[in-house]
Amino acid sequence: MEKGHSIIHMGKILIVAAYAVYAAFWLRFIGHALVWWKVSQRLDNRSLARPHLKLKACALTVLDVVLLGRVFIVNTALWIVEWVFHASFLLVVLRHLRFFLDPVPDWVWWLQTPGLIAGYVLPFALLYILVIRLLTKLEKYAAPANLFLLGLVLAISSIGVVMNTLFTPDLVDVKLFIFGIVHFAPAAAPGSVLFLLHFCLVLVLLLFLPTHIFTAPLVMLEARKREQALRLVIHEK
Amino acid sequence: MKNKRSFTTELSARQVLELDACTQCGECLKHCPVQDVTGNPAVSPPEKIRMFREFIRATDGLKARLFGPAEADQKLLQDFAKAVYECTTCGACGQNCPVGIFTQRLWPMLRKEMVKRGLGPIGVQAETPAAIKNSGNPYNKPAGERYKPWFPEQVKVADRSDIAYYAGCTGAYESQPMVKGDVLVLNAIGEPFTMLPPEEEVCCGFPLFITGQHDLLKDLVTRLVKGYKAKGVKKLICSCPCCVNIMTRDWPAIYGEALPFKIRHITQHVSEAIRTGKLQLRNKLSESVIYHDPCYLSRGVGVIEEPREVLRSIPGITVLEFERHGLNSRCCGSGGAARKVFHENAIAMGRQTIDEAVAKKADRLILACPACYAKVNEAMQGHKNQIRITDIMELVSGLI
Repeated sequence: MEKGHSIIHMGKILIVAAYAVYAAFWLRFIGHALVWWKVSQRLDNRSLARPHLKLKACALTVLDVVLLGRVFIVNTALWIVEWVFHASFLLVVLRHLRFFLDPVPDWVWWLQTPGLIAGYVLPFALLYILVIRLLTKLEKYAAPANLFLLGLVLAISSIGVVMNTLFTPDLVDVKLFIFGIVHFAPAAAPGSVLFLLHFCLVLVLLLFLPTHIFTAPLVMLEARKREQALRLVIHEK
Repeated sequence: MKNKRSFTTELSARQVLELDACTQCGECLKHCPVQDVTGNPAVSPPEKIRMFREFIRATDGLKARLFGPAEADQKLLQDFAKAVYECTTCGACGQNCPVGIFTQRLWPMLRKEMVKRGLGPIGVQAETPAAIKNSGNPYNKPAGERYKPWFPEQVKVADRSDIAYYAGCTGAYESQPMVKGDVLVLNAIGEPFTMLPPEEEVCCGFPLFITGQHDLLKDLVTRLVKGYKAKGVKKLICSCPCCVNIMTRDWPAIYGEALPFKIRHITQHVSEAIRTGKLQLRNKLSESVIYHDPCYLSRGVGVIEEPREVLRSIPGITVLEFERHGLNSRCCGSGGAARKVFHENAIAMGRQTIDEAVAKKADRLILACPACYAKVNEAMQGHKNQIRITDIMELVSGLI
């Protein structure tokens, strides 16, 4: 009875926390967007005319984003694991959409098995990256923020694996809880401590979600345009 | 109040996005020449970006918008200023950035912000504007000595011509074999070329731009562009990569319109002259030479093949390559005006260049930048490894 009450209280706290984190995420995004907007309003006459957008630059940028092409160029050894990490993270996120959507679209069902496999691969990819970053001399520098995020995703994904294999929470309760938050109709939290921990860590991840997720593709496009235009700087006819 | 000024004032929209796009992965550190010689991650590219993000958050973040800008942490500002001025601005970090941040352009603009806050430039760099105002050059040397000590008597300069040659301050005052080689080769090509009188050939503005001191740029650039325009110039040739870089990338914006002439690096002009038969290199050189790509020539404006074409056209020569060459070349330590302040770093970087050239069993180290030429020669003094250092046009002029 005591345990049931505490989980109900915990559930309420988590619902409030989820909304707070959601609001904080958007406030943070808006804060950044305001800076981008403010600077974009200034007339930028400090450099040459911006290079034209070429199909080749766009195609290379797609490869940079989808296959992490620039990482491949600068660190081939780390590239495959970085790509596995990013791809499996994306698949795991997409697999989790079944908790947010009702009815669940077919394509989300199709992604369940790839997402499940990705869920097992993800912690190993992260462990490899952490070992390379911390325990070898291959890397000269490890930013605390970067390590924190890697450690956080490792913890979240490891708990996910444990829940999937050993201590599976009641998935109906999980869906009701998540769906309730998304649709502003809060429901009781599932009675699984592991799930609650998993959920809390995801909220922390949302708070610290790096801004490069939004800006890196644009910067990669600019980089490809610049590379294409380098021959025009002083080789123009 | 001064420190509550927005930290984005000097940045373009692209640069603000770039600051946000850094993943702090640290890949750039493997290519940073300052890291190679200091091993201090505190002055590394991701740390500089992390600090600058904090500054932007203090003055432009959502909290700052709601409750007013906060004052940036003074200690952090001072640490940042030192880090950004210790950088050679070679741009190797950006070239190897998994996201593609254009650091060769970002660092100078962050330096400009430091200047606006009274935290930059550092040391003797602060004397540059006064020196240029006084003498027209950053070395504060008399204009009368700009050409006289090295200009070959047999070379005739036209009053007006389609082609003009700009010697540049570092070449004229610190690397005279280089500029002497330039004019000898131009003379051998046989096309008339003109030059501005020594008192009119003022600084191109690069030492000011790179240290963030932009106030005099408009005046200098306008004087130079009008001077060449008055002489009917259609092609301005220069051998200094830093001058060439600012001329192509920034002069049009500073001048306010497209330049009335093209800019060409001397190796472009000479390689074309060799291709078209206007210049013939008759003397043989049975040596292995290794060519060092100046950062502002290779990564800056993409002149990579032309110096090699010139060298390969020398009969008997073998051209070797550094491990890192072309777009990935390693800074020799002279860049970013850091060599005058962080002297030991520059010497250590210069010695790395010498050591690799010696390890590759090169007979001669070929340079194509007056700052590299001056500093690598200095780095060789008292060093265990010795190699003959020659500027590319100094070499060519001796083989005509």
